[in-house]
Amino acid sequence: MSLTAVAAPMRLDAQPGEVIERGRPLSFRWNGAPRVGFAGDTIASALAASGVRVFSRSFKYHRPRGLLSASYHDPGCMLQVDDEPNVRGAHRRLRDGMDVASQNTWPSLRFDVRAANQLVGRFIGAGFYYKTFMKPQVLLPAYQSVLKRFSAGGRTSPDDPRDYYDKRYAHPDVVVAGAGPAGITAALAAAESGAQVLLVEEEHDLGGHLRWGGTEDLARLHQLRDLIAAQPAIEVMTNSVVVGRYDGNWLAIVQRELPHACERLVKARAKVLVVAAGLIERPYVFQGNDVPGVMLSTAVRRLINLHAVRPGHRAVVLSANPEGDAAAEDLARIGVEVRRVLDVRRGEDLVAARGGGGVRSVQCHDGARIDCDLVVTAAGWTAPTSLLNMAGDKPVYVAEAARFLPSRLPDDVLPTGGIAGTGDTDALIAHARATGAEAARRAAGRGEAVRIPALPAGRHPEHFIGRTHGMVDFSEDVSSKDLLSAAREGYDSVELVKRYTTVTMGPVQGKLETVNAVAVLSRATGRTIGETGTTVWRPPYAPVTLGALAGRILEPVRYSPMQRWHEAHGATPLVAGAWIRPDRYGDPAQEVRNVRERVGIIDVTPLGKLDLRGPDVPRLLNLLYVNKWSKLDVGRVRYGVMCAEDGVVLDDGVTGRLGEDRYLMSTTSSGAATVWEWVEGWLQTERPDWQVHVIPMTTGYASMNVAGPRSRELLQRVTEGVDLDPEAFPYMHVREGRVAGVDDCFMWRIGFTGELSYEIHAPAMYGLHVWETLLDVGDDLGIKPFGVEAQRIMRLEKGHAIVGQDTDGLTQAFGAGIDWAIKLDKDDFAGKPELVWQRDRDDYFVLVGLQPEDGSVVPPEASQIVEGRNVIVGRVTSSRMSPTLGRSICLGFVAPHLRAAGTRVTVQLPDGRRITARVTEQHAHVDPEGVRMRG
Amino acid sequence: MGVGGAHDGSRNGHRPTARYSAFALFTRGLRKSPWPRAWRAHDLRPSYDVVIVGGGVHGLATAYYLAANHGITDVAVLDKGYIGSGGSGRNTAIVRSNYLTPEGVRFYDRSVKLYERLSADLNFNVMFSQRGHLTLAHNDSSLRTMRWRAEVNKLEGVDSEVISPEDIKRLVPYMDTSASARYPILGALHHPPGGTIRHDAVVWGYARGADAHGVHIHQGTEVTGIQVARDRVTAVRTTRGDIATPVVVNCTAGWSTLISDMVGVRTPVATFPLQAAVTEPVKPFLDTVVVSGSLHVYVSQTDRGELVFGASVDPFTSYSMRGSLEFIEELAGHVLALMPSLSKVRLLRQWAGLCDMTPDYSPIMGPTPVEGFYLDVGWGTYGFKAGPVSGESMAELIATTKTPEIIATFDLARFADGRLVGEKGAASVGH
Ligand SMILES: Cc1cc2nc3c(=O)[nH]c(=O)nc-3n(C[C@H](O)[C@H](O)[C@H](O)COP(=O)(O)OP(=O)(O)OC[C@H]3O[C@@H](n4cnc5c(N)ncnc54)[C@H](O)[C@@H]3O)c2cc1C
Repeated sequence: MSLTAVAAPMRLDAQPGEVIERGRPLSFRWNGAPRVGFAGDTIASALAASGVRVFSRSFKYHRPRGLLSASYHDPGCMLQVDDEPNVRGAHRRLRDGMDVASQNTWPSLRFDVRAANQLVGRFIGAGFYYKTFMKPQVLLPAYQSVLKRFSAGGRTSPDDPRDYYDKRYAHPDVVVAGAGPAGITAALAAAESGAQVLLVEEEHDLGGHLRWGGTEDLARLHQLRDLIAAQPAIEVMTNSVVVGRYDGNWLAIVQRELPHACERLVKARAKVLVVAAGLIERPYVFQGNDVPGVMLSTAVRRLINLHAVRPGHRAVVLSANPEGDAAAEDLARIGVEVRRVLDVRRGEDLVAARGGGGVRSVQCHDGARIDCDLVVTAAGWTAPTSLLNMAGDKPVYVAEAARFLPSRLPDDVLPTGGIAGTGDTDALIAHARATGAEAARRAAGRGEAVRIPALPAGRHPEHFIGRTHGMVDFSEDVSSKDLLSAAREGYDSVELVKRYTTVTMGPVQGKLETVNAVAVLSRATGRTIGETGTTVWRPPYAPVTLGALAGRILEPVRYSPMQRWHEAHGATPLVAGAWIRPDRYGDPAQEVRNVRERVGIIDVTPLGKLDLRGPDVPRLLNLLYVNKWSKLDVGRVRYGVMCAEDGVVLDDGVTGRLGEDRYLMSTTSSGAATVWEWVEGWLQTERPDWQVHVIPMTTGYASMNVAGPRSRELLQRVTEGVDLDPEAFPYMHVREGRVAGVDDCFMWRIGFTGELSYEIHAPAMYGLHVWETLLDVGDDLGIKPFGVEAQRIMRLEKGHAIVGQDTDGLTQAFGAGIDWAIKLDKDDFAGKPELVWQRDRDDYFVLVGLQPEDGSVVPPEASQIVEGRNVIVGRVTSSRMSPTLGRSICLGFVAPHLRAAGTRVTVQLPDGRRITARVTEQHAHVDPEGVRMRG
Repeated sequence: MGVGGAHDGSRNGHRPTARYSAFALFTRGLRKSPWPRAWRAHDLRPSYDVVIVGGGVHGLATAYYLAANHGITDVAVLDKGYIGSGGSGRNTAIVRSNYLTPEGVRFYDRSVKLYERLSADLNFNVMFSQRGHLTLAHNDSSLRTMRWRAEVNKLEGVDSEVISPEDIKRLVPYMDTSASARYPILGALHHPPGGTIRHDAVVWGYARGADAHGVHIHQGTEVTGIQVARDRVTAVRTTRGDIATPVVVNCTAGWSTLISDMVGVRTPVATFPLQAAVTEPVKPFLDTVVVSGSLHVYVSQTDRGELVFGASVDPFTSYSMRGSLEFIEELAGHVLALMPSLSKVRLLRQWAGLCDMTPDYSPIMGPTPVEGFYLDVGWGTYGFKAGPVSGESMAELIATTKTPEIIATFDLARFADGRLVGEKGAASVGH
């Protein structure tokens, strides 16, 4: 005997349609032991050729499981391959060096300790866990660890690398899902009618069932493949699945095992979707139907004809249809002893299969007991209507055909092939040809409608469940008995029985088991299958890796043009939403002192900036801000607060008037996106007649704030075309000019830090140049950069609230302590009705300045202000040690009865200690009159 | 008006239930004797003392506590589909009490306490697994909110604390806590009593408990109208016939405005879809619930090994319960941002449910201007965990006509009086 014969005792001689390449042997490991196979083998076919019959242990009872459908959806061979869990062994092609292991076994596949679960099977039927471990709660971890043992999935590890994934967008006229003879024909017909077609096939090759058929089928297969190859308007994707159909024919297609990525998500906006998904063979429910060696007829035909694997030696076949008969013929042809064919159409039946690790005998309807090692069932077909359901269809059950058929579909979805009805190959092909042509016509939106011939429903025995109980859901280990007892306990609708027994909820997603479950349930309740209905098919049709769905993470990090400088100068980065900003360069307190005494510079590029143009800008500003905007002269800026319609503070910032009809609005850094949407929302939906054009300019300018008593002196050295004299360019004004040789810069005099300061906005591409020039030229004035932390300290010293920190989701404008800005005499503005109402109440928390009596204690932000044991009457929203005052300072909310200046409040620190703080006169702790910034 | 006096409270009669226990499982297994129905089907009666619209956790819990705590058993629970077909069978089953307002914390904490003994009370294992709950902070502003929540929780006696990235890594070794992550993790609010529950089991357990006390559960019974005479509820119209009743309780969550409209009660509720998804099972590795507000995602792992994911509501109102592609794409991206090594785990199923959102992310509970018409709505994305406490309080309210202290702040009038109970900061992502 040759070496390969020893290694692969079940391998047959060459078969006409085989897809294995005998000249390319591959080696791999199975549960640690070396094995061989050929290129073109699936993992399962290679293992089956080498004599393996048991691939896994079942989920709950740990029963040995073999091949069932030998397709992607085979529940019995989910395997661990290297670091990848839950690999479909009957689909995944073998690669050299794969390390393959069974998943749900301990200590080994052969001797699985938990197989003892089978013995107690009758005590742990459907829903047993709801009926025990009820108390006490402390025992719960015990039951959990019992349940966890049932977890059947594969292994992951925190060290697994994140693979490379990418996405693709496609805009085909027609997508054909499924490339059996009908799908191929429809694709050809559509292409011939002028459509760009994407043909998607789940298997590795085109052709569907023709691939495992006889000579005639193979001849047709080659003919169709040649036609496809010659048709440039068809793009073929094999090993790919249309997993979702969303509104507007937005399709999710997953491509598997590409050379550069393990999966790829293709998003296609198809004008028309043709569903040619064929039919899935369904298992037959009878005792022992999950014993290894009991297989579907299609599995047998795949093994023999595609992979040249002998599925057994002595077989019994149960056949309700011609495909079952063909399987029996295939078996006979390769020399398997077919001991009996039980023909359902003649009233014959299988009663039970017996055996442990593999089937040993069957019992027939007439009492006959036949020894065998292979049982083949061909009990009928399930239409994989998932994509149709996602398109809104509710398929109807047709009893004569023992299957569901499509009913009502939107115009852009057309079914063809086996899913659409029954017929011989010629009838199906005629249907597909017309469907393809009609799909192309609908995609083009013109031409005369193509008549699609009706396909008959066909006849098929209703043969779902036998006279004994058997497995319905192989991945979840749910038997027909479980379903019956669940129905008896009151879980008697499809959805309830599904949830109670978990039938159809496993990795096979109901493809093999849904209709059988419905059949069992309908028998239990005395309703018909049609009345019982199926559960809702939910996307995706086939599982998709998180990696493929995520793709590359396209969430760019935003940096200002000065980022390189910050990095080179030791800035500590701060992640602020999309942006990375310098938090500090050294000691923030030192940075503060430098600003207060000399001059500092901070990068504020992330500040939101909206360029507003048009005659109606003042109306817009009046509508969005709580304060007044009608009389803002050119060259002036004003601070404004925005509220949402519930009166809650939304954002704040300054807006300046740069020209007659030209304004620049600034927003908080974190509010930039929200405010832009807010502005556009109002303009597009509420005030479409207003003439305002909005351009988001946030990244168009590099923004920097030069602050400190020497800032004017510094700017005088680099500014051209702007008179910086305080009379000519006073506080709250804006000027345009040339800074550091760069034209079109503008600056405004405002003072978040409370110092004399100029905010310079320079065209982004010159940002770094302006920044470096200012630092150079200001060297002798003591200029130093400062970071976000120093700015936060200074704004707190100055008592400037930060929206979102010193306000929360319920803070209406009066609560933020900005009464002075709210102009209720304006006609209307966003939030006005709520604020009118708030003005007359006094039951809300108010933002106040707070100073701990012991100035050395900084109460952490979020410390609660309390009364009595635990009544909450406020909280600290901002707190810092003030380098300028040498004491701790805070902003915080207090209940109305505590708002008066001088009130002493109790602050509970997170460590439980309590301290006393005093409400201050105003928010500002430093320079409340604003002498410095106006200077 | 109180209920219970008008009719003989025992009209429906108790019935002996088959108690569930390991021993009973064993003996029935031996004798192969089947279990009786967990709840029965009935003909519709022409009248009931109380009609509860909606057979989710809220409706069924209210019925159960009416019967169990107050002896009011002439109660019908109506559902247009099967019980649990609404949010109660679609949620991601997170139970916690680490809310933001003192009122919220107290309320949800009571529910956690009731859940802790619910399996025993109902003789039905609801699998409440207090595995701990982590809310991640990726920026200093969310860290501040976590601290805020921790402080309020502590004052209310609820176990919550802010923990460091190192502690997070210890609890969840798969988490990318490195500083180089796109959204680095700065800390988390850790809430040990939080966890997950088997949502369907809660629904079935309450149904079985209510049934045992004589409550009628009517599935496949849609309410199509409510009759009101002189500002009082008198009858309910259904697809199976009319029912005279002085008390109607609206427990229909995502559909609640349709029911409130039937009596002309306006509520500031808008229905938004909320989506969720689940993966194939992988070996258990995640023992806590992980929520990231900034990334709009949360993750837990079931005992069976599936990863359950959720997010915040869709950005538009709709009654559609279909999932979208964008949702799972963004979700997967964010899950991988947190746990990069899961890229080969496959998503198995996605779905959506309806959420009845209120402006302040707190519920609306209590009487209305229409006598006999009660609201238990506004459960948004967070109402499953409130099932027990809501049922208990609504039952007390209906039986005594006095509003229990614990739900007093959740009245409908708060929107007119400006007394909102703001929970957005604690409930918009981590339900
Ligand atoms: C995806 C998702 C995740 C969630 N995650 C969580 C979570 O982790 N934690 C949490 O606490 N909450 C969560 N929630 C929220 C939670 O599910 C709901 O708040 C809660 O289930 C509401 O329960 P209910 O009993 O009030 O309503 P539902 O369970 O929605 O029940 C309402 C019932 O009313 C019925 N009905 C409607 N109209 C009529 C009519 N006219 N006649 C008769 N019957 C009618 C419906 O059929 C339905 O069964 C989530 C929700 C969703 C959708």
